[in-house]
Parts: sequence; C-alpha cells; structure tokens
Amino acid sequence: MKTSVAISVKKVDFSYGSTKILDQVDVDIQKGQFTVLLGRNGCGKSTIFGLITGLEQYKTGSIKILDKERKKLSFAQCSKIMGFMPQSHKPIFPFKVKEVVLTGRAAFSGFSPSAADKKLVLEALEELGIGHLADRPYSDLSGGEQQLVMIARVMVQQPPIILLDEPTNHLDVYYQTYVMQSLRRMCDKGMTVIAIMHDPNLALSYADKAYFMKDRKILDFEQTESSNQAAFLEYIYNIPFNEIPNSGKSYYLPKNDK
Amino acid sequence: MKNTAANFLIYGIPIPLICYSLSVGPGSTVVTWEMFGEWIRLRLGMMEVGEVSSEVALGKNILERIRLPRVLLTFLIGSALAVSGSALQSVFRNPLVDPYVLGISSGSAFGAALAIAFPLVQINISAFIFGLASVLLTYIFSFSGKNSSIIGVILSGMIVSGIFTACLTIVQYMSDPYQLQAIVQWTMGNLHHASWGKIGHAITPIAIGITGIFIMRWRLNLLALGDVEAKAVGVNPQKDKIILVSLATLITSASVAAAGIISLYGLFVPHLTRMLVGPDNVRSIPANIFFGGSFLLLIDNFSRSLMEFEIPIGIFTMLLGAPFFLFLMKKNKINWV
Repeated sequence: MKTSVAISVKKVDFSYGSTKILDQVDVDIQKGQFTVLLGRNGCGKSTIFGLITGLEQYKTGSIKILDKERKKLSFAQCSKIMGFMPQSHKPIFPFKVKEVVLTGRAAFSGFSPSAADKKLVLEALEELGIGHLADRPYSDLSGGEQQLVMIARVMVQQPPIILLDEPTNHLDVYYQTYVMQSLRRMCDKGMTVIAIMHDPNLALSYADKAYFMKDRKILDFEQTESSNQAAFLEYIYNIPFNEIPNSGKSYYLPKNDK
Repeated sequence: MKNTAANFLIYGIPIPLICYSLSVGPGSTVVTWEMFGEWIRLRLGMMEVGEVSSEVALGKNILERIRLPRVLLTFLIGSALAVSGSALQSVFRNPLVDPYVLGISSGSAFGAALAIAFPLVQINISAFIFGLASVLLTYIFSFSGKNSSIIGVILSGMIVSGIFTACLTIVQYMSDPYQLQAIVQWTMGNLHHASWGKIGHAITPIAIGITGIFIMRWRLNLLALGDVEAKAVGVNPQKDKIILVSLATLITSASVAAAGIISLYGLFVPHLTRMLVGPDNVRSIPANIFFGGSFLLLIDNFSRSLMEFEIPIGIFTMLLGAPFFLFLMKKNKINWV
C-alpha cells in the first residue's frame, strides 16, 4: 500500500552540546499538502529542517523521506526527492540571476550544465513571474526578488518535496502574499511544501496544515488540548491573543491592553 | 559590443603580445626586426644554419635561450596565479584572497628554500607540501566556532604567512652564501632566471592544476554561493573544496618554485577579468588563463625596460595589487563583521 506520508519523523531527540533542542519529536507530513511550522525564535524549527535535509545528524529515532531512512540517503540522492531553501544569505559575487538558479542543477549535471538545464531555469523564472530578472545581478535585487530567485533555484531540482526556511522573511506585504500564493500553486500541482513561518495569520490563510513548536515538542494546531486556538497561541508565544472571526476563518491578533 | 571588445582583449592579445615581448630587453643592437625575420625563416627551414651571419646566430641564441623561455614562463605563471586566485576567491567566498594572502606563497617559498638548502626532496614537491600545509593552517585558524569571516581568513593568512617567512629566514641564516643568494633571488619574485629547464619543471603541475580547475569551473559558482546553499541542492561541498584548493596550491607552489613570490597578482587579475566577462566562472576561468598570462607579460615588459637594470616583478605586482586590495576592502565593508 502506498502511504500518503511524505516525511515521517519518529521519536527524534537532538541536542546542541548539553542543551536539548528536540525531545522525542513525532510528526508526519502529508504528501501534496502545504504544511507550515511555527514557533518562537530558537525553539528548534530550523534544527528540524537541518535534520530532515541532512545538515545535522540525528542519533536517536528515525526520519523517513518517502519511506527511505534519511541517514542512508546521500546528498545527491536526497536532491532528487527534496529541495531545500535555506534562510536568505548574503551574496559575495554579483552572479546573474540565471547563473544562481542554474546552480540548482549541480547534483544532476556534474561539471557542466546542459541546454535542458538552462531551459528549466528560464521556465522556473517565468513560472514565478520573474523572467525579466534573468540577466540582472542577483546582488542588486530587492529582498523579495532574491527570495523568489532562491525558490526558483529549488524548483529547477524538480523535487516532489520542498522545504523553505522563512520564505517570507524581510518581505513587504506584496511579496509575502506573492510568495505564499506561488507556494500554494505549487502545492495545488501536487508538490509537497513545508515552510517555516513567523506570522501565524499569513501561514494559516494559505496552509493546509499548521504545526507549532514549544518546549522541544511539535504540536498540531488542530488537535490542541487548549480550550481554543487563541489560548493555544498564547501558550506558544507567551502573550494573550484575540480571535477575530472573518467569513469562516479566524484571525489571531495579540491583545493590546492600552 | 562590450563582449566583442572583451573577447578581443582576452583572446586576441596574447599572440601579438608574446611576439612583441620577444623584442623587449637588452641586446637590441643584435636583435633587430631584420634579424627576427631571418630567425623565423631559419626556424621554418627556409635557410640553413650555415647561411646565417654571426650576428644572426648571436641573436638566435638570445631569442631562443633567454627571451623565449622568459616570455613563455612569464605567461605560464601569469595564467597560473590568475586561475589559482580566481578559484580560491570562489572557494573561500572571499574577494580579498589569493595565494599570497592565504599564505600559500610563503609556505611554498619556505618549502622551496628548504629544498635548496637541504636537497632531500625535489623543490616542486617540497614547495607543494608546505603550500598545502599553510593553506590548511589558514583555514583552521580562521574559524571561531562554526564561522569564519572574510577578515578572519585574511588575518590568519597574515599570521601563517608570517610564520613561514620567519622559518624561511631561519633557513637563510643556516645556508651558505651561494644558497643564500639563490634563495633571496627567489623570494623577491624574479623571472630573469627563466630557462627551458624551469619551464619543464613548472609546466606539468601548472597544466594539471589549470586543467582540473577548468573542468570544475561551473562547480565554483555553486561553492561561491556558500556551504548550505550547496548542500541544499544536493552537493556536499567539502570534497569539491579539497580538490580545488589542492589544485590551486599545486599551481601556486609550482609557480613559486619557478619564479618566487609574485605578490597579490592572483588577487587583482581575477577582479579585472570579472569586470570584463562577469563573475560566472564558466567564462571567467578561461579568460583568466589568457588574460592572466598577457597581463603579467605586460608588467614584465615594463620591469625589463623601464630602468637600466631590471626591477623584480614581485615589486611591481605588489605596487599594483596593494591599492586594489584597499579598494576592495572599502567596497566590501558590509562583510566585515
């Protein structure tokens, strides 16, 4: 029987030195869904991503990606089933956008990119609506444009699963919405998207599934033991929230006591 | 238009420049254009050795034994340092490094001097081993915790360079006057000892290094984006880095063993090339091979003809490279922390 689980994390512990970051973490990420992961700074969101993508090594428990144990996959094997966009980085050399995106094909085309690779790059840029940036230096772009370029770089790997670490970081409202809509579209075409986010409202309005991290555990937003979602968010972020219903959905705003 | 001009500068200049450079240097009363013409005809087999005058025979000696090896060695070393500097800048993600800044040159010079003073191993091999040791030390020293900054790399390079320069002084102190003279000449960065023998020693390691880097030039783009960015697309950068740094060191140590320390040349030429063809290594590595050779030849022509005596070329490249280093330092200030 074919499972519908893309990534399965079972009983994973992780520590940096003597500081425990993850404690018996369990989570199943469903195929074809847009999953978001939220939580306060330093709660271990990026660590989970690091473990899934192989930047960090886990010693206990198991992480399975499409039913294959993560530890047994090489970077190259992994790149065929999973793309990963790290947090935004500072470019050193003024590479052109298409050259940056083309590096996404490195695991496939060893020493020299093929014509097909270059075509994929232009297609990915067009799909994200940034085809006109192809010949611009990456280092001259705005934060939002750079973010889209890095998403294109993941897309040219054509992986069934992509992970994004804070894709809407440093972006204005226009680009936040644009990026989220692009990710939503990718999901609707059958990709599995997992993103670390900071803004619960933005995350909840586009995602299929939301998880929150607190005290070294991952918690499901829909199966909370708290009395309601606002109370749950208060538990996560340590500040009180108001729930504001709006045509079937709810928004959550921090309480302002002034 | 800009492309055509750049391509001409890079690929069109070398051959005419090499020919012109053969006419530069002492002995201009003997080596005239007329003589040059006869020499070409002689070499093409249109004349017999017996037919030429004694002047032409002398000129032939100057051309074949002094100027040609020098011009070719200069070109070779110019290519070598430019390619190695360019590769190192991408691998270290640092526009301010070159074989000199990273301490490779000093390490290789120490290795070469050691092999001159105590001829236990071949000069090339000793230069390579110590060059590799110095770049590894620089790399290790530059880390504080998990991160290494641009400035950290430069400071550790300085320290490592200092250590090997001190060791070099000890070797000089211990060696006899004749060896001492040879060592001092070397460390100044000098091309006037060029000979077919030196070309013979240098060409194999330099050719291997340049070919290797040429083959891996697209991978340099990926490394230049950073470790995490490489891993994110399924490439473990560590293996590539080790190979590329070894190749760059091989090139540098061979050129140091042949011509001494030519300071900062590997730093500023890749930047000039980048201005001409852009940062994409697919285009800039071949451009560095040709432009790097031509530019050092141009500088060497000045060092041979500007004064009555010859100015060591390392002095020229230092004087050109230092302002460039300062310019880049100001330009990259955002990366200082």
